Amino acid sequence: MKLSIKTALVAGALSLPALAAHAGVGDTLKEVQGRGQLNCPGDIGAFLGFAEVDDKGVWKGLDIELCRAMATAIFGDPAKANIVPIDWAQRWPALQSGDIDIVIKASGGTLSRDAELGLQFSMSYYLGTTKVIGHKALGLTSLKDAEGGSICLPASTTIERQVSSYLSAKGIDMEIVALEKNEEVEAAYFSGRCDTFAQWGPVLAVAASQAENPDDHVFLSDVLALEPEVMIVRQGDDNWVDIANWTLTALLFAEQEGITSANVAEVKANPPNADIGKFLGANPGMGKPLGLADDWAFNVISKVGNYSEIFERSLGQQSPYKMPRDMTALWKDGGVLFPLVVD
Amino acid sequence: MTAIPLARQGRLRRLRKDFFGSTASTMMTLASVAVILALLRWVLNWAVLNATFSASATQAVCAERSGACWAVIAARWRVILFGIYPYEEQWRSALACAVVVVVIVLSCLPRFWSFGRLALTWGFGAAIFYILMRGGVLGLVRVNEQQWGGLPLTLFIFVATGVIGMPLAIVLALMRRSELPVVARVTGWIIDTIRSLPLLSILFTCAIVLPFMLPGFLVGEKLYRVVFGIALFFAAYQAEIIRGGFQGVPRGQEEAAKALGLPYWPRMARIVLPQAFRLALPATINQFVIAFMETSLVVVVGFVELLAAGNTAYHTGEWKFAYIEVYAFVAAIYFAFVFGLSRYGAYLEARMSAGQRKE
Repeated sequence: MKLSIKTALVAGALSLPALAAHAGVGDTLKEVQGRGQLNCPGDIGAFLGFAEVDDKGVWKGLDIELCRAMATAIFGDPAKANIVPIDWAQRWPALQSGDIDIVIKASGGTLSRDAELGLQFSMSYYLGTTKVIGHKALGLTSLKDAEGGSICLPASTTIERQVSSYLSAKGIDMEIVALEKNEEVEAAYFSGRCDTFAQWGPVLAVAASQAENPDDHVFLSDVLALEPEVMIVRQGDDNWVDIANWTLTALLFAEQEGITSANVAEVKANPPNADIGKFLGANPGMGKPLGLADDWAFNVISKVGNYSEIFERSLGQQSPYKMPRDMTALWKDGGVLFPLVVD
Repeated sequence: MTAIPLARQGRLRRLRKDFFGSTASTMMTLASVAVILALLRWVLNWAVLNATFSASATQAVCAERSGACWAVIAARWRVILFGIYPYEEQWRSALACAVVVVVIVLSCLPRFWSFGRLALTWGFGAAIFYILMRGGVLGLVRVNEQQWGGLPLTLFIFVATGVIGMPLAIVLALMRRSELPVVARVTGWIIDTIRSLPLLSILFTCAIVLPFMLPGFLVGEKLYRVVFGIALFFAAYQAEIIRGGFQGVPRGQEEAAKALGLPYWPRMARIVLPQAFRLALPATINQFVIAFMETSLVVVVGFVELLAAGNTAYHTGEWKFAYIEVYAFVAAIYFAFVFGLSRYGAYLEARMSAGQRKE
């Protein structure tokens, strides 16, 4: 999502054939196990709710927790996740050069990343939409109502492209105010310089929740674009993609079956059916095909928690952002996320 | 003829003449004073009078008053100063900073200006800094260079730039004025090539591209590659500054030294270089100030130096609103170092020109 011009330049310059040779060599799992830690990207600064640093300098957020879940699946210990501080522009070169093992950094699966950069994706773990908020006092419900008004957005990002193509497709005439830093964009909107403010949904929700009067701002009904956020690895290591996918499935499956970090030991001791028994490692078979221990999923749930626990800690009710699950809920709760089948 | 005015009267008269000499300058003076006072008042109101100082204040508490919310510094100062260095080990970061500052202050004292003493101070300083920051020996937990952050990292990059860059600059400058045309020409090419590359691209090359081109045993830790890149960049500029100094030294000085039969090294070390340095001093201090500021560029290759650590500190749900306070705090730290540096430069100039005054 945060594809600035700089990002594009760097990614372009560094995705040259010289790097492609590095992609997909060796067994990533063996490399990670040999090193004794899983390297994931953090952020320079922070990306609120996904990767930020607490008062003690410890990383937290949805992306970070997914990395910890994966480290737990591999090592049985969330502390084996090593968060490397890197910027948006560096995530692809860092992945290709082996500085990090996987990119979990609010990054969408795109054609160019898949086919041109030589990467491979997991299932989507989050659905990010580009949305717009407006001042409530203006009585807006959709962008159409804001015709002739102004819209603030971050300059030279995909957001800018999405907004201008959406506006021209709908034939809405608005003044676009593009500003470089997100702080500037927010300040411009909240000070009343713009009528509306377009951003990636979670960033927007965070901004609105931090406003002086959160009730003064409404989400407009327009959804400008959807970006499914995925975990991204070097192409050519299928087992590594499997581990990413099954870590995500473990988190979602546990939520679906009502298994939490609090009750997982109980459920394991007394599995309601054979599949859950296998899932938690009470019966063998869950780990071997992936090259992991049989109780890896049990470790993930007991030490990190299920998807719902992670979400609520990072973005939801236990976080300052209080974001609803919306589309990111489980299929049975009206969302689009689903686990694969454990058999 | 009037009597010689007392110094004070003279100063007053001069003040009056400079600032209230004509209607236009009176108006300019009054307008400037008004603007300065208004700015000062605004700053004072924001930073002190209307500010919230309570360390436990939250956004809601701060919002009731219009001024700064210094609680963010109380809550996040360790993130600002030390970045993501492990919390329990941050005393090591603090101590390492102190070591660097002590070493810098010591080597600024004229008493320490001998090769032996400087080398000893810096050798010891570097060893203590490295052991403290990296650990892995003496029962200290090993901390990866990737986890270094905040002030110690900024100081490390700055100091290493100076320590590697300055001798390299002298060597380059001497080579460029070598009497062997091949050496002079090639050095000139090298300097001009480095100078025509943007620092950012050098950083990217050192951090990301080099590992693909170098044999494995030469790759080393990313931090050291990056520091080497910055030092090279610094040296290219500094070499030209020193060359400017050389050109200011009258030819006769070197010729006289030659006539006395002084060989190359003593001639350089005792006659030419000291004079060149004196001439190059203002530009050199300038270059060091720029180098200090430019340490913040390493953020693009993934190092959480002071400014980036400040960024990290306010980027969280609770403190997102308080970025001005964090930037002000970081700016104060930069100011303290850079202002100290320029004052020291002024002191050096005064000291070095002491022998010059008679001319």
